[in-house]
Amino acid sequence: MNTPATANESNIVSINVGGRIFQTTKQTLTLAGTDSPLSKLATESSTRFLDRDPALFSVLLYILRTGNLPARSTSDVRDLIEESRHYGIEPFLIDSLSNPSQFEAFDLRKSRVLRLNGRDSPSTIAPTGGGGLHVAHGSKITSFDWSLRRKSTVLTNFSAVDSLLEISPGVLAAGATDFPGLQIIDLESGGSVQTALNWENVASSTVQAVGSSSEFLFASFESSRRNSNSVMVYDLSTLLPVLELDRGSDSSAIPSTKLRWIGSCNLLMVSGSHASPSGVSGHVRFWDVRSRNMVCEINEREDCFADVTVSENLSAVFKVGVSSGEVFYTDLRGLGGGKEGDRWVCLGEERKRSLNERKGVGCKIESYGDHVFCSKGDGIELWSEVITGLVGNARRDVLEERVFRKNSFVAGSGENKVTGLVFGGSRMFVTRKDQQAVEVWQSSSRGVSM
Amino acid sequence: MVSDRSERLKLNVGGEIFETTASTIQSTCPDSLLAALSAPTSHGSNPVFIDRDPEIFSVILNLLRTGRLPANSSGAFSKQELLDEALYYGVESLLRSAMLPPPLQGFDASLVSTVSPATDGVPSAFTANAGDASLWIAHGGQISVYDWSLSHAVTVRTHLTDVTSICRVWAEAAAIGSGSASGLHFYDLSSGRYVGSTHWTDPEDPRIHKSRVAAVADSPGGVFASFDCLHRENSVLQIDKSTLQVAAVIGQQSGSSAKTAVPEKLRWVGDNGLLVGSAVQRGVFGCSGYIRIWDPRSRTIVWETSEPGSGRSSRFGDALADVDVDGSTLFKVCSKSGDLGMADLRKLGEDPWVYVSDENPGAWSADEGDRSGGYSVVHCYRKQVLAARGGALEVWSSVEGKASGDVIRRRNFVDKEEDSKRGMISKIEAGGDRLFVSREYVEGVEVWESSNSSSMIEL
Repeated sequence: MNTPATANESNIVSINVGGRIFQTTKQTLTLAGTDSPLSKLATESSTRFLDRDPALFSVLLYILRTGNLPARSTSDVRDLIEESRHYGIEPFLIDSLSNPSQFEAFDLRKSRVLRLNGRDSPSTIAPTGGGGLHVAHGSKITSFDWSLRRKSTVLTNFSAVDSLLEISPGVLAAGATDFPGLQIIDLESGGSVQTALNWENVASSTVQAVGSSSEFLFASFESSRRNSNSVMVYDLSTLLPVLELDRGSDSSAIPSTKLRWIGSCNLLMVSGSHASPSGVSGHVRFWDVRSRNMVCEINEREDCFADVTVSENLSAVFKVGVSSGEVFYTDLRGLGGGKEGDRWVCLGEERKRSLNERKGVGCKIESYGDHVFCSKGDGIELWSEVITGLVGNARRDVLEERVFRKNSFVAGSGENKVTGLVFGGSRMFVTRKDQQAVEVWQSSSRGVSM
Repeated sequence: MVSDRSERLKLNVGGEIFETTASTIQSTCPDSLLAALSAPTSHGSNPVFIDRDPEIFSVILNLLRTGRLPANSSGAFSKQELLDEALYYGVESLLRSAMLPPPLQGFDASLVSTVSPATDGVPSAFTANAGDASLWIAHGGQISVYDWSLSHAVTVRTHLTDVTSICRVWAEAAAIGSGSASGLHFYDLSSGRYVGSTHWTDPEDPRIHKSRVAAVADSPGGVFASFDCLHRENSVLQIDKSTLQVAAVIGQQSGSSAKTAVPEKLRWVGDNGLLVGSAVQRGVFGCSGYIRIWDPRSRTIVWETSEPGSGRSSRFGDALADVDVDGSTLFKVCSKSGDLGMADLRKLGEDPWVYVSDENPGAWSADEGDRSGGYSVVHCYRKQVLAARGGALEVWSSVEGKASGDVIRRRNFVDKEEDSKRGMISKIEAGGDRLFVSREYVEGVEVWESSNSSSMIEL
């Protein structure tokens, strides 16, 4: 991270930390950032003395120098966190331990289980910015920090939280399908409700889904009489309503249950489905928020999605079919044109579908990095694209001919059905039915000393 | 933390040089041995030499610097080692505040340990003291004292064969009663000495003798104890703490029915100067019992209610299971539904109860309450109401509503299903941000705490 110091003597800095002398360069110290007491040491000319623990300082200095946590470190990560906060260099520590670049999809292993107090199973989970996790279980939300070693729990007004999203560090948007309003909860103040957002037109409407972009907060509302629904767009910083999209006001309108922002296209993906005796039907719509136009709509009648997601890295939309249980994709670039019927490309062995089958019920599909993860029953499938290299990158422009291949994690090991799947930092988090715990999957080569 | 040279201070602990500042030591523990050693006059140019272990000193020094204990210190050193060393340096108050658990949140607590006396381990009574976070357990005629760190301090053998009620009346003195022997007895636990006894006798009424203590409560104006005679005649006595003489007889009654049985629970409400007594009998057809509130100064009954009774307050087949007081609010839990009833002690009338129920879908169903024989024990702690149903432990916590400032109360399980299988809960008491639970015929007292550390299983 830094260049080897030249023989310039004045560049070398000696620091006495709690009685032990450390020597480093001014460049290394200034890496800590202008607000850190360490960068002040670099400019100071008098004796440099810090009344802190030398053993912890030595680990943090190693991280500043190399960007990695030393393998020899015997310090507890909780002490390192507190100490790094004192020096204002926690981001370096986070980076050394839970950087998204350390996410290795093919090397994920179930490495630990986070236990929850009480008897409620998680209803929904949401990642934090730095690789931590918020878990809603019953009326409570337990938040694990990025190191997963420390937690705090707050009580909410909901009897169960169904939609959860971190909108800024320590601030959550939470909603439920049986409780009106989207509540903005401040974790720092012990879970007090900052404000409750409601759909302007229909009071006491419930929340079906939340999503966000760097500018906006999106919330899908359904009126309490379940005869109308809408997606509200709020300004993320002021939380004031900006506009309303995708309004459905007759009783056949299906509320949206998933909202995903596609940054590279400036589009909001909105999806919802409905099961009736005649089968499952649904929609995936793409909205341009600025012009308030719907760019594209996919109507799902045959083998409707059980879940749908979008991958910006792969520039494709993925779904898992509710009847077939197979994974399909459609290229983001081809959204505008093409016929409805052959839009989806099946990635599995597309067997003859029967409308009576329900193989895909409850399946979840999520993308992270260059990969797509799909849960089926108790197992998880990993789909990744193979660039065949035959025509080079030009091949990417030829639609319908992309090659995706599947890997499977645990299948048929008798565990409970997967109910939730989210990603953060270098980790995959999995919740299962009736388990009062969250599984943490990560690459075994990382996080040795955590 | 960049300090000028004059403040800097070198210490040689067991051959290892530590450097810190005088302000670090002076500001945290000004009266300690360390502070005395670091005074400018006490040393010349050489560092002060302290003949102690340097490794454990580095933990103590970090405690002084940050106010926290290093997370791995519990692995490297035993609790007793840390305590001894903190005592040597005179910083035990700092160690204590670093080692005590964070504020107890009933909806986020887990079982951390079980305090088990060495002999006759089944507790017959216990009391937790909020002030110094200590725990006194009565077991088989003995009283064991555990200090704030839940280390065993002392065990006192009493003359009783069993102690069924215990109450702290001074910092080191306990008032104890027995279900098998008459009288209320006072023991000084620091010296292990018997102090005296108080008996309820009446020279004019030969029936009143050999009365046994059912419940004890302490107040600044005296100790209140409910006494029960063999003929079921019963009364609450106010006992002067300095003379151990009976100062007043409050509410004598015949004990011929459930409504006049001896109070099994007494609570002193300091804010209002009132004494709350209650008794509940559990039978095949549900619970029946009463709540009675006395003003000890006038020795009169201020308010009373009995269930099942007439009027609007009676909920069919869902009488009170137990009662406790928090601030000036009276809490009761309904035996069958588990609903929470609240009454303001300042506004008691014919039907003061406000009922709250919570349909937490993941947590609870009314059928379960029916099968397990209903609720039994209730305890209030810092605006949380803990209730036991069989072996299961629940908590009512309040959460502020959104805009209007109204309070929503939510019911959650504290324990997990496997916890409830250990046995029927016989007593719940919280103190010093710890929750203590004892179970019938089960050795030891369970300790539940909230924690900022996640409980994680490494695979």
